[in-house]
Amino acid sequence: MLKTQNLGYWYQDKSQPLFQDLNLTFDEGQSYAILGHSGTGKTTFLSLIAGLDKPKSGDIWLGDRSLKQIGLTNYRRHDVSIVFQAYNLFTYMSPLNNLLTAMAITGAEHAGDKFFARRTLNSLGIGEDLVERNVQHLSGGQQQRVAIARAMACDAPLVVADEPTGNLDEDNTQEVIDQFQQLAHQQHKCVIIVTHEPDVAARCDHQFRLENKQFTQLA
Amino acid sequence: MNFLKRAWLNVWAKKGRSVLLILVSSAILMFVLAGLLIRSAAVKATDQAKADVGATVTLSANRQAAFKKVQSSSSSSKSSRPKMTLTPVKLSDAAKIAKLSNVKSENVTSSTSVNASSYDVVSTTSGMGSSQGGPGNMKGGTSSGDTQINGVSATSLTTAFSDNQSKITKGRGITSADKNTNHVVIEKNLASQNDLTVGDTITVKKTTGSKAKVKLKIVGIYRASATASSSAGPMSSDPSNTMYTSYTLANTFKGSKYAGTADSVTFNVSNPAKVSSVKAAGKKLINTSSYSLSTDDASYQTVKASMSNVESFANKIVWLVAIAGTIILALIVILMIRERRFEIGVLLSLGEARWKIVAQFFTEMLMVIVVAVAIAGAGGKFVGDQLGSQLVAQSTTTQTTSSSTSTQPGGGQPGGGGMRGGNGGPGMQQASSTKAADTDLDISVSAVSLAELGGFGLAITFLSIMIASGGILRLEPKKVLIS
Ligand SMILES: Nc1ncnc2c1ncn2[C@@H]1O[C@H](COP(=O)(O)OP(=O)(O)O)[C@@H](O)[C@H]1O
Ligand SMILES: [Mg+2]
Repeated sequence: MLKTQNLGYWYQDKSQPLFQDLNLTFDEGQSYAILGHSGTGKTTFLSLIAGLDKPKSGDIWLGDRSLKQIGLTNYRRHDVSIVFQAYNLFTYMSPLNNLLTAMAITGAEHAGDKFFARRTLNSLGIGEDLVERNVQHLSGGQQQRVAIARAMACDAPLVVADEPTGNLDEDNTQEVIDQFQQLAHQQHKCVIIVTHEPDVAARCDHQFRLENKQFTQLA
Repeated sequence: MNFLKRAWLNVWAKKGRSVLLILVSSAILMFVLAGLLIRSAAVKATDQAKADVGATVTLSANRQAAFKKVQSSSSSSKSSRPKMTLTPVKLSDAAKIAKLSNVKSENVTSSTSVNASSYDVVSTTSGMGSSQGGPGNMKGGTSSGDTQINGVSATSLTTAFSDNQSKITKGRGITSADKNTNHVVIEKNLASQNDLTVGDTITVKKTTGSKAKVKLKIVGIYRASATASSSAGPMSSDPSNTMYTSYTLANTFKGSKYAGTADSVTFNVSNPAKVSSVKAAGKKLINTSSYSLSTDDASYQTVKASMSNVESFANKIVWLVAIAGTIILALIVILMIRERRFEIGVLLSLGEARWKIVAQFFTEMLMVIVVAVAIAGAGGKFVGDQLGSQLVAQSTTTQTTSSSTSTQPGGGQPGGGGMRGGNGGPGMQQASSTKAADTDLDISVSAVSLAELGGFGLAITFLSIMIASGGILRLEPKKVLIS
């Protein structure tokens, strides 16, 4: 479903790329973990497949269209949902309005459907008592669940997450990983999670390690 | 239209910030409104003042031409000191000019002097006695008496009375109804010294021809102002010895050949801006070698100048405040946008169009501005009132100063000089009254100025968002990931 073709990226120095000639394939209905030490370029890689930045070399393909052809804004709107380490919700809104806003912007099938948005939140453990509260009054685990619910409520086939459990305790981490697995297995999305925690990576269907400018798939 | 909802949610959720923004915007808009109000009031007041202040055109003998004639004749015949003869103005000419458009009213002036008979003149404090041969006393056939006769169409049309330098204290002034009568208005001091009052009769002696005695009936008593008497030079008689009559009576004192004539006729022009066109049209109706038409729109020009000062000052306020306000708001919005760059990043990561993000910020500011316009509309009247009265106080002071200096050399005006026993005696300048004090700025918040304020508010909002939106348009969405 998502393919990278000779993908490469560097910041200032072309002779010092973070990675080069990446040829990876990600399929729908599967979850992928990208492991690696801090500073190896995991987030940079994710920003490329999330359509937040352009590759310096090579290409990314979604099905038979390259991201260039789709256009990055269009790609972000319809094809990818992003879950951030810092949740990145609209702080001036309730969980419900966060979902409704994302659904409206992305033109999701259920856009404007408050009942659907509530049900999605409820299914991720955001009870009715929290649905209309300001998100800033929610705990970190609850906020990350709202962010996952946002990805769930939008129709994008690809979900990428950057250290989604970085700010969570052990219990919340397990629950959040379960929910990502649900996204992959029940909603048949392609889920790509960047993490530096091996036990989080271990729960995903596939693991890649970014090391020495190369991705190696772990057995 | 999701950005509208977002804007509303944001403004509502961040009430404290919204209130602060409203206060800042209100303050800015209040100054804009004050400027707008003063400007519109100044425009109104200028129009009003222009219509109020008189401008005049005066028909009189052509002194320059007459003077030249004297010079040329004096070189040929050295025998006697040549007399400058001024042709009296014909009232038939004046009637033609009076029919021109824009001529509102006319005042005929004919001055002479007589000698007291049944009463004693007030002796002048300067001790110079009654005036004899002032520098302007060159008019042939008029020797000086101790009592100054100012023949007019109506006292109310003279500068002295319209400027309130002289005031009727008892009875009434001379009006056009007094034509061909022996009615007279005398000065208070002369009346009390001789124990005279309204209804009494006095007798004067002509200084010309038969030197016959003439009876005059007192219809009014006026008080000459202190300034009028002090302005009278040492050569003039005491201002209390000046009487007002109809110009017809003054003409009979001068002699029969003066019937139907005047020293000068002053026409009040209804639209001061038309003064020169009236003068041009009038010139075609008269013999310009004997007569001249002079204009006086000094007070009109003064009012025009000082009011346009206020106007341009108000204009400057409007623009300065609008520009300063735009800069202040733009800086606030730039700070706001910096503080919200994660939110913008999330919007961009969701695939929101950048222009819709700008539109959200614009909508948020618009909500703030709408409330601020309402507040400023309520408060702007107060600010405008304060500023308006300050400005008027300032402008009228400068106005009166400049108008008094501008009318000082009024000795060049006909009606002064020649006919009278003095130079620039009391109150014979024609009525081109300076109504500077009447120009009041009427400050009121009209729908128009509110609409204009709304326009400014909109423009300020738009510009400040445009200036600040560079930050939104340049923001890389990746920044939300790597922080
Ligand atoms: N905007 C940038 N300009 C220059 N260097 C950057 C920028 N962003 C990240 N880097 C560098 O690129 C490398 C990879 O960063 P990142 O992708 O965030 O790594 P990771 O997510 O694996 O920790 C780091 O060494 C980082 O310092
Ligand atoms: Mg990272």
